[in-house]
Amino acid sequence: MPPAVQLLSLTSSLAEIPRVADAVEAFCAPLEPGPRDLLALQLALEEAVTNIITHGYGDQPGHAFALELRREDRRVTAVLTDDAPAYDPLARAEVDIHAPLAERGVGGLGVHLVKKLMDSAAYERRDGRNVLTLSRAFAPPAP
Amino acid sequence: MEITVSNQNDVTVLALQGRLDGLASPQLEQRLDALLAGGARKVVLDCAALTYVSSAGLRVFLGGAKKLKSAGGRAAFAALTPAVHEVFELSGFLEVLAVHPTATAATASLT
Repeated sequence: MPPAVQLLSLTSSLAEIPRVADAVEAFCAPLEPGPRDLLALQLALEEAVTNIITHGYGDQPGHAFALELRREDRRVTAVLTDDAPAYDPLARAEVDIHAPLAERGVGGLGVHLVKKLMDSAAYERRDGRNVLTLSRAFAPPAP
Repeated sequence: MEITVSNQNDVTVLALQGRLDGLASPQLEQRLDALLAGGARKVVLDCAALTYVSSAGLRVFLGGAKKLKSAGGRAAFAALTPAVHEVFELSGFLEVLAVHPTATAATASLT
């Protein structure tokens, strides 16, 4: 299967979450992905996109940012680029997932899920932009 | 996401269908708050048809369980699909929330 690339322009609204999920599903369809791989990528992207909107742009509408999807064989890579102030979501402190109910919060849980669900997650500040690169190798198609 | 509410004696069962993402989760939060305000104290969240949950949905689940607990009530979760089960597991939610294999078992655990 030849490598493929797709670029999406996003705006700083949570309404983009289902749109990103649909785009990911359509982009990955040729791989005939299992639900685990597809949901993992959709979830990681929801968390990353939400971080950009809420932390990066402070929930202010009208900011544009970009999502690039790439696939090479069964590896799918997503690159999010935004022009919000420098912010490395991966630098957040690890959450204690074994704390009892009363002490449990969900701060940092999104980033925790991104790290767990992706094979690789990398952040860099490049040319005044935040660039987050997430990647996961999809399992072979079901026989 | 679709939310269907039913009652079995004093247990309120919310059947969740579809995707609980950051856009849909406020809807569930409002529903849970309204039920709590209306006196519901035993709540089952039936996740048999819930195909996806993100941290925004987990926040509502955790908040709902905590609010019920502080009101003297309890929440029980039922019938997690494999994808939702994995997210619960990775988040440590299997340890802090009551998770049951079926809605019937979850309902029975509250009575």
